[in-house]
Order: sequence, then C-alpha cells, then structure tokens
Amino acid sequence: MEAILQVKNLNKTFKLSRKQRKLEGGAAYKRAVDDLSFTAYKGEIFGLLGPNGAGKTTTLRMLATLIKPDSGDAVIDGASIVADPYGVRSKIGFLTSELKLEDFFTPNYLYDFFSKLYNVPEETATARKNKMFSKFGIDKFAEVKVANLSTGMKQKLSLVISLVNDPDFIIFDEPTNGLDVLTAKTVTDYLVEMRGEGKTIILSTHIFSLIEKLCDRVGVIIDGRLVALDTLANLTAEKNLEDKFFDLYKSVKGEMQ
Amino acid sequence: MKTVLTIIKKEFARFFKDTRLWITALILPGLLIFALYNIMGSIIESEVEKGADETCTAYIVNMPDSQSAAYSAIFDIKDDYTNQTAEDALKDGKLDLIIVFPTDAGKIQIKYNSAETKSQTAYALAVAMVANYDIVDLADEQSVARTILSTVVPMVLLMLLFSGCMAVAPESIAGEKERGTIATLLVTPVKRSHIAVGKIAALSAIALLSGLSSALGMLLSLPKLAGSVGGGISFAMYGFGDYAAVLGVILSTVLILVAVISIVSAYAKSVKEASGLVVPIMILVMLCGVFSMFAGTVASIGLYFIPVFNSALVISNVLSGAVNTAGIAITVCMNVAFAAVLVFVLTQMFKSERIMFNK
Ligand SMILES: Nc1ncnc2c1ncn2[C@@H]1O[C@H](COP(=O)(O)OP(=O)(O)O)[C@@H](O)[C@H]1O
Ligand SMILES: [Mg+2]
Repeated sequence: MEAILQVKNLNKTFKLSRKQRKLEGGAAYKRAVDDLSFTAYKGEIFGLLGPNGAGKTTTLRMLATLIKPDSGDAVIDGASIVADPYGVRSKIGFLTSELKLEDFFTPNYLYDFFSKLYNVPEETATARKNKMFSKFGIDKFAEVKVANLSTGMKQKLSLVISLVNDPDFIIFDEPTNGLDVLTAKTVTDYLVEMRGEGKTIILSTHIFSLIEKLCDRVGVIIDGRLVALDTLANLTAEKNLEDKFFDLYKSVKGEMQ
Repeated sequence: MKTVLTIIKKEFARFFKDTRLWITALILPGLLIFALYNIMGSIIESEVEKGADETCTAYIVNMPDSQSAAYSAIFDIKDDYTNQTAEDALKDGKLDLIIVFPTDAGKIQIKYNSAETKSQTAYALAVAMVANYDIVDLADEQSVARTILSTVVPMVLLMLLFSGCMAVAPESIAGEKERGTIATLLVTPVKRSHIAVGKIAALSAIALLSGLSSALGMLLSLPKLAGSVGGGISFAMYGFGDYAAVLGVILSTVLILVAVISIVSAYAKSVKEASGLVVPIMILVMLCGVFSMFAGTVASIGLYFIPVFNSALVISNVLSGAVNTAGIAITVCMNVAFAAVLVFVLTQMFKSERIMFNK
C-alpha cells in the first residue's frame, strides 16, 4: 500500500472569544486538535469518526490549508501543508457545506471560473464540465442562477465545482450533512465510484452507518485526540461500530474524570 | 496575471449581472446629483432674478437739485410715497432705500432693510454716493467662478468618490465573507495577493464609473447652476493639463479609498458591520475636503505627502487656476505607493485565518 497522506503530530489551539469562553467554562484556549498522527493510503476511503466538537472539521481544514497548524505537518502526495500550501491546494478537492457559491452566477459560469483559477486547460475543462453536468443532472440548469436552484441541485453543483481540477485526493467534511436522501445517495455512490478510479478520499462524520457503508479504514477522534485507528473490519470484529465507539468513548472520558 | 484577470472579470460580471447593484451604483448617483443641482440652480436663479434685474428703488426726501442727476442715474427714484408709506414699503421689501437729506447742516439719513439683499445693495450704493466714492468691482466673473469651484468641488468630489466605493467594496468583500463564498475562493490555489489585486482593481474601476456618473450629473447640471450665479463657469476655463491632473489624482484616490474600505470590509463579519466601521473613515475623508478649502494655494509642500488630503489640495489648486506641478507629482506617487501598501495589508488579511474565518 502506498501512503498518499501522512499526518504527523498535528496540533491546533484556538484562542476563544469572550462569548466562546463562557460556553467552554472560562478557559481562554481550546485545544481542538491534539497531537494527531495517521496515514492514509492510495485508493482508500479513510473515515474520521467522532462526536460534535471532536476536532474533525479543524483537522480537515488544516489538511485543506484553510487554517494553519500550530505545530506538526501533513504531507499530501508529496506537498506539505505547511511549506507548500499552494501545491496542496492544486492537488486536492475540498468539500464542505461551509463553502458556498455565489448566488448571482450560473453553474456554467462558476464551473468555468473555478476551472480557470485551477489553471485547467480549456478543452479539458469543457469536456469535464459536460461529463459532470450530465452525470449530476446539472446540464438542464446550467444557465439558471444558483439562487434559483433547489438545495439538492446546489449541493451537487458544489461537489462538481470542488472537483474541477479532477483531484486524486479528496477531503470531504460531513458528506451527507443536510442532504436529502436522494442527493445523499448520489454523493455516496459517487465517492465509491471515485475510489474505483484509484482516488483517495478522507471524510469526516459522526454517522456510524456512513462509515460502515463507505470506509476502508477508520480513525476515531475524541476531544482532538486519535483514540483508535484501524481497518473497518478489525474495528468491528467483535461488536458493531456503534458499540465499539461507545466503549472507546467511555474509556477516554472515564480516564479523564 | 491570468488569475488576476479572471478575478477582475468575475467582479465585473457580478456587478453588471446584478441590475439592482449597477442601478444604485451607476445610474442613481448621477441622476440624483443632476436633479439636486438643477433644483438648486432654479432656486438660486429665482432668488437672483428677484434682486438683480432692475435698479434699486429709492425714495428721496429733500434732494438737492445739484445731486438729482447723479442719484437718478443710480436709483429708480420713486415719488409716490409719503414718509410714512415709504417706511412701510421698505419694511415690506417693495422699496429698497430711503434717503433723507437734511434741510440745514445736519447729517444725511439713510434707511434700508438689512433683511433684503437688494436693499443692502442700495445701501452700499448710497453710502458710496454720499461719501463721493467710486465703487469698482474688480472681480472678473471667471475668477469668482474659480474660487467657488475650488472650495466646493474637492469636498463634493471626495464624497462622491467615497460613496461610489461604498456602493461596491463592502458587498464584494464583507458580503462574500458573510455568505461563505470567499472560503470557496481561498481553497483554490490562487495567490492571496492576486485575489487582493484583482478585487481592488475591479472595484476601483467600478467605483470610478460610479464617480464618473456623479461627475456627469454635476457637469450636466453646471450650466443651470452657472446661469444662476451669473455665468462665468465654463469648461473652457481649464486646459487639457488641468483635466489630466484631476483625472490622475482622482484615479489614485479611488485606489486608496477602495483599498481602505476593502480592508475594513475584510475585517468586518458582515456588510452591515462594515458600513458601520467605515463611518469614521468617511468623516476623515470629508475633513480632508473641508481643510483643503482653508489650506488653499498657500499649502506647504509637506501637505502633499498626506494621502487623500493631497488629492483635495491638488483638485482645489487646479480649479482655482494655480497648478502646482510638484504637488501633483508627489500626490499621485504618494497615493499609488500608499495604495500598494494597503493591497499588501489586504493580502495579509486574506492569509489570516483569524480574520477570514471569524464567524
Ligand atoms: N475558529 C474557532 N475558534 C474557536 N474555537 C473553535 C474554532 N473552530 C473550532 N473551534 C472549537 O474546536 C473544537 C473542535 O471543533 P470542530 O473541529 O469543528 O469539531 P467537529 O468538526 O469534530 O465537530 C470545538 O470545541 C470548537 O468549538
Ligand atoms: Mg464539523
């Protein structure tokens, strides 16, 4: 197995605003990611499983170079998120519901715009656009402003646009969050299809069934720390994923109390 | 470079695809100013007409025969009053002046109504007559017009430019942040400096168009306004060099204004917050316009090193006919350099996760 992502001792602490301090019980800092290390291999779907606030989004944002780690590093396909963020950005696709598209533009315009920002040659971009638009049924709405698209169509468009550079490494924060069942199925089916093409996907979720359905290997993350890392098969050898997770959760939280 | 162009094009597309946006930023300012100045012109005109058309009327008591011809030449002398009705007429503004010559060696009495412009004029004329002065107004119409323009225009222009920038910059930066679309841009491998340069270039061009719309409204209503103050304002007053200097200065000023508003907008969490944070800066810019009125042409060269204020100075100088070439050069260089610094600051802000993701 060839490693494509190597995460080494990632740390991230947030300085809390006054309002956030109250919610966190007065502490001025929040350690969102605590010495995280793991490896993902080419052609697999790697799942980060953890409850809300575990640090999944923070981790993925660091991998996508939207935020910088306090210490540690991660190397994606040879590019370091610390030393070469621009290199990382051109190699990856980052999908999250937080990345929005401008309402005033049409899918057609936005696809071309982002293709240019990724420096995709024009013919390649056009061929790719036609293929993806018809695959996700966007072709019929290609000239409709984003503002007038249905929520499901917007989400599909977001997915298609974050893949304009046809990346080999895809980071997906909570893939099915807020999607209706049909769109969610389209998305998960497409993730499996991309794995079939040899692409690597790292996703985060708090939904056990999603991990069970998609992932080859799983990292369980609680309070910013990796508490388990194994293949899905090994993790679920004795009991189902949900029970296994709560065992882990109890042992971590118990040890702290 | 290619990505900068892509970003500029997108900003333009965004602006011109939003009908409401370009109507409020491009059409309305010019239209409003045109309407406003025309109404102002009409009001001034009707005021002036009331006064200036006829010669001042006077009721004169005991006029010595020797003076009669001289006074008749200046005043429209009315005889159909008594002392009492004349005073009433003066109070009502129907009569402009009463002069009472003494029967013996006493003083000449002049009665006027200080509330009426025309009566004031009549009073001044009478005083001059009595003292045997000659009054000659040496101000030629052009220099009067220049003085008016050089004090008023810098201030008005700065305000127009500022509002042009306000129409587009907060929407494009704080708005994108608020709606979460800037993050989509930040995950692409586009250099942050390219985003900053592209946005500022596009927004400056649009703000300039908006300023142009205001200027057009102003220029087109100038004949009306000029007519009302007795003519004397015309485009021919200024040469090509003057217009080029003003244009260059305006351009560099818009760059600064857009960059400053962009920085504030990048710091703000929403368009609304940005509009609030910008108020002190707007006041500062207006003060630049106000102070330039006082600094006038005597400004020391050091003042041309203050961005924006120097723009107001140069425009004021040019309009008053006192072109200061060194001042213009310093101003344009200073402003462009300052704008470059601001672009750098904006780039750093785009790189800062604390600023870009401070929800
Ligand atoms: N920008 C931020 N400022 C302060 N605290 C943050 C920020 N982002 C995340 N956090 C905190 O870090 C922790 C981890 O958050 P996150 O990574 O979003 O968790 P998850 O995605 O697993 O739900 C949470 O306690 C969250 O409140
Ligand atoms: Mg999350």
